[in-house]
Amino acid sequence: MDFKLTDEQTKLRKEFFDVCEGLEKKKPKGFAGLEGIYDTDEGWEYHLDCAREFGKRGWLSLGWPEEYGGQGTIMDKVFLSEATGYHDVPGVDIFGVNMLAPTLLAAGTDEMRKEYLPSIASGERMWCELWSEPNAGSDLAALTTSAVRKGDEYVINGQKIWSTGAHRGDWAFALVRTDPHADRKQKGITFLLMDMKIPGVTVKPLLYMDRCHLYNEVFLDDVRVPVRNVVGEENQGWGVTQTLANFERSSLGAIMAMHRQIEEVVEYCNETKVNGVPLAKNPLIRNRLAQMASELWASHALAYKIADAQSKNEMAAFDASAVKVFSGELQARMAQFGCDLLGPYGQVKHSKWAQFDGFFEKWYQQSFILNVAMGTNEIQRNIIAWYGLGLPRMK
Amino acid sequence: MEISFSEEQEMLIKTAADFLAAECPKTKARELEEDEKGYSPEMWKKMAELGWMGLMIPEEHDGMGMTFQDLTILIEQMGKNVTPGPFACTVVEGATAILEAGTEEQKKEFLPKIASGEAIFTTALLEPGGIYYEASGVGLKATAQGENFVLNGTKVFVEMANVANYLICVARTREGSSGEEGISLFIVDAKSPGVSCEVIPTIAFDKLCEVRFENAAVPKKNVLGEVDKGWPIVETVLRRGAIAKCAESVGGMQASLDMTVSYCKERVQYDRPIGAFQALQHIMADMWMVTQTSRYLTYQTAWMESEGIPCAMEGAMAKAYVNENYKWITERTVSLHGGIGTSREHDAGLYYRRAKAADTAFGSTDFQREVVAQKIGLIS
Repeated sequence: MDFKLTDEQTKLRKEFFDVCEGLEKKKPKGFAGLEGIYDTDEGWEYHLDCAREFGKRGWLSLGWPEEYGGQGTIMDKVFLSEATGYHDVPGVDIFGVNMLAPTLLAAGTDEMRKEYLPSIASGERMWCELWSEPNAGSDLAALTTSAVRKGDEYVINGQKIWSTGAHRGDWAFALVRTDPHADRKQKGITFLLMDMKIPGVTVKPLLYMDRCHLYNEVFLDDVRVPVRNVVGEENQGWGVTQTLANFERSSLGAIMAMHRQIEEVVEYCNETKVNGVPLAKNPLIRNRLAQMASELWASHALAYKIADAQSKNEMAAFDASAVKVFSGELQARMAQFGCDLLGPYGQVKHSKWAQFDGFFEKWYQQSFILNVAMGTNEIQRNIIAWYGLGLPRMK
Repeated sequence: MEISFSEEQEMLIKTAADFLAAECPKTKARELEEDEKGYSPEMWKKMAELGWMGLMIPEEHDGMGMTFQDLTILIEQMGKNVTPGPFACTVVEGATAILEAGTEEQKKEFLPKIASGEAIFTTALLEPGGIYYEASGVGLKATAQGENFVLNGTKVFVEMANVANYLICVARTREGSSGEEGISLFIVDAKSPGVSCEVIPTIAFDKLCEVRFENAAVPKKNVLGEVDKGWPIVETVLRRGAIAKCAESVGGMQASLDMTVSYCKERVQYDRPIGAFQALQHIMADMWMVTQTSRYLTYQTAWMESEGIPCAMEGAMAKAYVNENYKWITERTVSLHGGIGTSREHDAGLYYRRAKAADTAFGSTDFQREVVAQKIGLIS
């Protein structure tokens, strides 16, 4: 057993960190996390700039086969996540780069790959996801948005919700019901790609609790999508969504973001005096911060194990669930700790009175994005219990 | 990066699991808790024959020449099984101290004895009134007299001193400007006149002892390392001891989780296995998660220590983290078993008690967190 990186890996990882450090300097004021990307025009422009920079270097196609313009390995992609996480730099489209590209590589035709992968690799086209519906959240397979085939098109009607960045994305990958009479709800679902700028698509903001525009409702009224946009087979879309093994799921981006937060909090505690005594000397603060640093290091070790397993095609879905739950809940506590530390200033948004530029006020709220999206942590625990531990599955 | 076991390590794990299942069933572990010695000399001999005592001792001193990491992998199996005895205090602590600081003569004299199972070692560090593994707590006096040093004072929580052949006694030879100055280590023959021992009754019945030194003479050739400059050796022993304790704990966590999951699949109430209830499923999912995080944190730290990469921070993080989670998992294990989990006959309580013992060894959580606080850069 060996945790050592090769010399080449060390060099490449450093290059990722150097480039991200440079990009961090161009960050708009108050930019943080996913909200930073989707909420404001300047955040979005910054995201696109970073994407183009990464695209130019071939960093959005890490781990892809060479014939589709790929280079490097899945591990390299993990190192890039570490760098973007640590510097909180956007540019890697979670939908296009992290989800759709691996899906196309696993389940798409050669023709589709050639059509859609190049603009993902260059950072030119941004994607969003149309999966959840008002009555299909955790129970995603209960979705009812219908797609009725008319000639070589589907006519789509229904409503999607919680669509992150649908107001920014150029294209979407959607799950629709093509067979409402299938004997199991997982059957009869189709995975397809659609342009977001076509007639019948209406995007309405669904503001987050902090007033930021991250999520959307998307209404689909007689939207026409060519049949050739189906990924995999008609009615087999559920299987296509299960190619998760190909996604980078180590959560190392979130973990490295927390390393940075701890560093900054340590610096703050050393410099900030309360009644003449540095906060760093408060034993309760020392204890809590040490506890979080230890938990962070624990999640880091597990994340490396998962990345290693994934690069050998040995990762189980419940492995990734563990690190997602663990790191997400740690981020929530870290944000709460950050706010606690600041007393009344912990509630202040990006402004002249803000500490850490309002970072912890923001993450006190944003951390739910890690713990609710992509399968709530309660669902992740079900997955661990059923598939990891073999406990009886809920009927 | 290769975060899985090598073939050689897989073999070690299999040999250990098979041996321990046959030689040390849980009934045996509980029996040894009642035993005066606290270990089985026959089992000890067989373990030595397998080469376990000399696992990380170089071949030139009759060992197997494997690594510290390999040793922790073995210890994880011992922890999974609960294997009472002086293994860690001899093979991790004793061997480390001699390998790190021993003269050629000392290595030649003691390492083959450890490797063959002939000598049991232990470390005498804590003293009455001290609860932290800190240099300032060392007050036992060692005074030079002719060819000897003469030791006077009392040590407590000395593991398996009741059966040890040698004690590595951490003593004060000089009052320094800091607690770390003026500390020296002595290899003390446990049979020396003036050394006496009494077992302290403890939660795991694991033979932690009070050891009194009354004018106990130790020949100068048995000073380990330089006089007055022994503390860094103690730090290495404590760090390795803590990492090995984490490995033992990870084994215990896995055993507790396995026991709980299989009980919840079998135990039927309200016409279904209780493991079908989500209230319990989520607890077990959490138990599994913290077992995994504890496991890889321990593996990574053991690897660093094995490679000679400085890991005082990581070691403290691992101990702090594993301490809390081993206690939590075993508490959940007892609770999910209900009444039966609380009985003397059941294994759940065996691990629950061991978790507390593991927690205190080499520094409990708050002590470790203070180390972490310093290492992450908080000024003190």
